Amino acid sequence: MITEKIRAAAKELLEKGEVETVIGWERGTFWYNSTPVFISKPEQADRLVFDDFCANNLAKYLLDYRNADGKIAVFVKGCDARAITRLIQDNQVKREKVYLIGIPCTGMKEAPKTVSSQDVAGLPLLAKCQSCATPNPVIYDILLGDPVPQKEVGNRFAGVEALEAKGADEKYEHWGKLFSECIRCYACRNVCPACNCRECAFDANGLNWLGKQNNLQENQMFNMTRAMHVAGRCIECGECERVCPMGLPLMDINRKIIKDLNELFGSYDAGLNLEDRPPLGQYKLDDPEKFM
Amino acid sequence: MKTVVKSKISALLDEIAKEFNLLVPTAGDGASKFAPYTSGGQVSLDGRTLLPPKDVFFPQTEKMYKFSTDGMAGSLETLLEAPKHQMLFGVRPCDVKSIHELDHVFLTKGFVDEFYQSKRDRTFLVSIGCNGPAEPTCFCQSMGVNPQESDAVDVHLFDLGSEYGAVAKSENGEAFLQKYASFFNEAEVQLPAISEFALKPDVEGITEKLQQMFDHPLWEEVSRKCLGCGACTYLCPTCHCFDISGRVAGNQGFKFRCWDSCMFSEYTRMAGGHNPRPSKKERVRNRFLHKLQYFPERYGDLLCTGCGRCLSKCPVNMDITNIIKQIREVELA
Ligand code: SF4
Ligand code: SF4
Ligand code: SF4
Ligand code: SF4
Ligand code: SF4
Repeated sequence: MITEKIRAAAKELLEKGEVETVIGWERGTFWYNSTPVFISKPEQADRLVFDDFCANNLAKYLLDYRNADGKIAVFVKGCDARAITRLIQDNQVKREKVYLIGIPCTGMKEAPKTVSSQDVAGLPLLAKCQSCATPNPVIYDILLGDPVPQKEVGNRFAGVEALEAKGADEKYEHWGKLFSECIRCYACRNVCPACNCRECAFDANGLNWLGKQNNLQENQMFNMTRAMHVAGRCIECGECERVCPMGLPLMDINRKIIKDLNELFGSYDAGLNLEDRPPLGQYKLDDPEKFM
Repeated sequence: MKTVVKSKISALLDEIAKEFNLLVPTAGDGASKFAPYTSGGQVSLDGRTLLPPKDVFFPQTEKMYKFSTDGMAGSLETLLEAPKHQMLFGVRPCDVKSIHELDHVFLTKGFVDEFYQSKRDRTFLVSIGCNGPAEPTCFCQSMGVNPQESDAVDVHLFDLGSEYGAVAKSENGEAFLQKYASFFNEAEVQLPAISEFALKPDVEGITEKLQQMFDHPLWEEVSRKCLGCGACTYLCPTCHCFDISGRVAGNQGFKFRCWDSCMFSEYTRMAGGHNPRPSKKERVRNRFLHKLQYFPERYGDLLCTGCGRCLSKCPVNMDITNIIKQIREVELA
């Protein structure tokens, strides 16, 4: 059982003093809620679980440990590992300060409608997992379990292409309706492992980049800016869309930007390795200058 | 008790909509919320809405004043909407309780918020009871709410299966039931038993205990996973923090208020940059102490109705019932 393995791995790391904290998941409110947990004593390792509901990308928490003395261990699924690669590339996390325990992932499940149904097999995969292209961690120190086969995910830009085919007014209406629903809770931003500015532009109230009013104009400004600010660094973990309480299809915007970048600068998938710099994080003499 | 069969409700709502600006729970595309009734439109009278009704009284963004200058002269105008007779239909008992809590804040202790009051006064409340948890995350019963019946409304509807049992709770409610008497029958009714809630936090003595826990390490522990977003507070029917800002263009401008959240990092940031709640430990502590200690100290009521919205939508499943449990388990020296 994978849960036993992760508990043993965490216990050993803490007992040997190799890491000061282990970031993983524990059981939340109900059997279908697994939630981030921070373990710093070996005897707490038995709180850890790995099941079909460990959707939370834990990479973001490493930003809270930028100044930690010791090493931090973190469990990484495929998507989480790409997030870590990105954070290392952005010099937010030092590779030697993290210990990565990789877990090949077969996909996380939607919560059921009722507490009593215990039919895990019958639950659909989360949208973000249905289109996952990297179920196996791309970076790790140890890997628990065998790599899982890569599923066929089809054309991940199909949704974007359908939107591109719409007329300008139709697009405006589509997004206008959605963005009017946004409550500006910023969960999408705060969960995002590519959002790592020390001070977010949206929090710089004095500068007023973004008005505080909740109306279509400001909401559009927020949603478009959030997506543009992670252009080339979005690792498609789908966390933003998963956590949006209003259920807004944020991956359509993220993927539109990824598609545009691919067309402009050549195909690029963020966070697959440490070597390839993101298209907007490097300079080449033959970069296109379409906007000039 | 007066009863009305559920199949007649849409005809009743059609009639009411002629008299009131009628708001009903809807679950069309997008999140479920209270929205203006349209005949034949989406009305969802089962379960609770994702968005609480608080924005009916306390909108997320609300213009308050406008002003202009002309040389040395200036003018200021309060932007109070003309009162419209409105009805909020189908409010669950937890949300009725939340309105009561907002009333404490906006209408008592010698201060009346006229913007809130103008909307509150003109709103006729019709509640619908729950015979058990509407969602797995509901825990109203533990927070002193009777899920089956609300009193602080105009009319309450008991859910009797294929019909509703109606009880007037105010004079306006009496008049209403008389006016629409043709929709109702008189019947002996038996209220269904309330089914068991999965979540049953025990809040006995919690305020007194928290008075001794401001510096307890628990806050560091439970706050680690918090992302500092506003999902919990913006979906909470009782959270009521706001911020006032303004916009000026040329010689005129306006002031508006909009929701704010104690979970945001810049919420307590002061001019000059000092932030007395510098990390999520202080922010998470504030949220729970406000709900479970400060508010009860000031108003004698917990600032949580047990609606369960926060724990069901928090990206990291921060669970107030679990926090309450952990507070109980703390052994004070
Ligand atoms: S924008 Fe969304 S999908 Fe992209 S990295 Fe951030 S949370 Fe993940
Ligand atoms: S999570 Fe959704 S509702 Fe919240 S700010 Fe982002 S888009 Fe808006
Ligand atoms: S918290 Fe109670 S009153 Fe509110 S919806 Fe759930 S069961 Fe009904
Ligand atoms: S408790 Fe949850 S919803 Fe609230 S700020 Fe923290 S992460 Fe966001
Ligand atoms: S704190 Fe949570 S459960 Fe309590 S009233 Fe607010 S949203 Fe509902």
